[in-house]
Amino acid sequence: MLDDQRADGRGGALPSIALSGLTKRYRRGKGWLTAVDDVTLTVPAGQVIGLLGPNGAGKTTTIKMACGLILPTAGTIWINGYDVGRQRAGAVRQIGAVLEGSRNVYWPLTAWQNLMYFGRLKGLRAREIKPRAERLLTGLGLWDRRDETVGSYSRGMQQKVAIAAALITDPPVLLLDEPTIGLDVEAARTVKEWIAHLAAGEGKTVVLTTHQLPIVQELAGRIAVIRDGSVIADLPTGDLLARFAEDRFEVRAAGQLNGFAGALPAGARAEADAGATRVTLRDADQGRLQAFLGELRAKDIPLLSVTQARPDLEEIFLRLISQGARDHTAPRAAEDREPAA
Amino acid sequence: MTAITIRRAADLAAAPPGFALRVFAAEAGKGLRLMWRRRAVTLSGIVLNGFLYLMIQFFIGGGHLPLPVLALTLPGLFAYVVAATAAVQGSGGIAEEVNGGTLEQAHLSPARPSLLAAGRLAALAVEGLIPAVVLALAFGFGYGPHWVIRPDSLVPLALIIADALGYALLMTALTLRVASIGAVVHVFNMAVMFFGGMFIPVALFPHGIEIFARLVPTTLGTEVLNTTLSGRGLAAAWAGGTLPWLLVHVVVLAGLGWVTYLNTLRRARREGGLSPR
Repeated sequence: MLDDQRADGRGGALPSIALSGLTKRYRRGKGWLTAVDDVTLTVPAGQVIGLLGPNGAGKTTTIKMACGLILPTAGTIWINGYDVGRQRAGAVRQIGAVLEGSRNVYWPLTAWQNLMYFGRLKGLRAREIKPRAERLLTGLGLWDRRDETVGSYSRGMQQKVAIAAALITDPPVLLLDEPTIGLDVEAARTVKEWIAHLAAGEGKTVVLTTHQLPIVQELAGRIAVIRDGSVIADLPTGDLLARFAEDRFEVRAAGQLNGFAGALPAGARAEADAGATRVTLRDADQGRLQAFLGELRAKDIPLLSVTQARPDLEEIFLRLISQGARDHTAPRAAEDREPAA
Repeated sequence: MTAITIRRAADLAAAPPGFALRVFAAEAGKGLRLMWRRRAVTLSGIVLNGFLYLMIQFFIGGGHLPLPVLALTLPGLFAYVVAATAAVQGSGGIAEEVNGGTLEQAHLSPARPSLLAAGRLAALAVEGLIPAVVLALAFGFGYGPHWVIRPDSLVPLALIIADALGYALLMTALTLRVASIGAVVHVFNMAVMFFGGMFIPVALFPHGIEIFARLVPTTLGTEVLNTTLSGRGLAAAWAGGTLPWLLVHVVVLAGLGWVTYLNTLRRARREGGLSPR
């Protein structure tokens, strides 16, 4: 936990990020486009939250509103006790951000010059910035090339400089919008390890958006899914995975199940699997599972195994996006939990 | 990793002492470093503007350099180069920052946008002045126009720079709103070039064009500078009406540039226009 948390006057700690009724509408021609629609999220200090959604869902707009870079149409944003709308200066001092689809740093300048510049912009003196810049550049493997222009770096190195610039003032809140986009496997892994270190080792609050869902699954203690500007799911990662694991079973039976296809339950899928057949039962409760197993037994088809399948985050995400049902109970459940490690 | 104890920006409840100065210096310093990176553009600007000026003067002089005209138009060249360079670099620079996402990162600073704008302007002033001074010195020493160098010439010189920066800030602001800003800046720069007294002294224009020309950025400044360089002093410029109108022009243009810049930034924040849309 951070040592500079502000008390809320009731003996508790203020959340790191609190979005309440956050809404953003853009005028488009004669009408309005709602990019973010009444988003309410509370992120405790030290938590890593994955903000997922398809392109155009409203993730980036939400993050930029939290940074004070886009003014909301309605709603409030609090960062470590500072109202972004009314105490913008205090709020942005809490934030380090890597924004999606942009360079984030000045490519014609060197890595060192970038870090000095962004540190000074946040109000620090050169003697305060230098040791931290040295530590960051060393940690990210850029120290030996600190005096080269960022434009001469590889894409992965450029993204590391962007991360270093976001961290130069040691902000307690990190907003990382697609930090691994366009990176090769090795660079993405380095960035992922840094995020893990920042969260677990330095107790920073991290909001992470990415389309690389395994990274979120690994790093985030909580996941919020946005679709069409609204939060449609918000659960601790484990709960989200468990929740969707309950209704899917995989049954392996010997042979090819010839002539049995018509008897498969609705929504089931059969695939050949090394001399056997794997049948996936979706949205199946114990009753449907037992009924299906009974049919196999009745036809003397040897049963090899029955497992409760654990869909990965990608599959869950796709199902959530396609069904789009708003889960009204989920956000509160997530807020009540302890911050993830 | 070893822990290093430094004060964190997050711990600062309010702006620390010297904050405004640091931000201003950081922004101006960044602008100057970026200028150094594109010094080839500055150098080619000096060569091209100098060559163009010489060719036009040869054309006007029928194959000779008319020194009396040179003395009256060199201040116009100086003013044009400051204004045009600052406008092009201001507009191009902010467009690059929008596209690169660095404008958003810069505005993640707790500093007021006006403070960042002041730092940006300081860098633009230097970027505009360097080629202008180089050209003025080269032609001034090269051809020795008959100027009376007096301290009061610094007043119109400063007002020319302020007028040029107001114009540059307006063009920079419009970059956040107008898609084809490059063409717009080009057209306005051409107007400054032809009507600002760089080729022909404004007093030689037909009356109607003369009135229009005095609305163009830097024209009045060039006229006042010519008055002082001819040895007549500021009093003559004041009595002739050019100095009061120059002051009005500078205040209006600088105010318009400033207000437009801050308003377009605010509007960009409303519409998500600090980054590419």
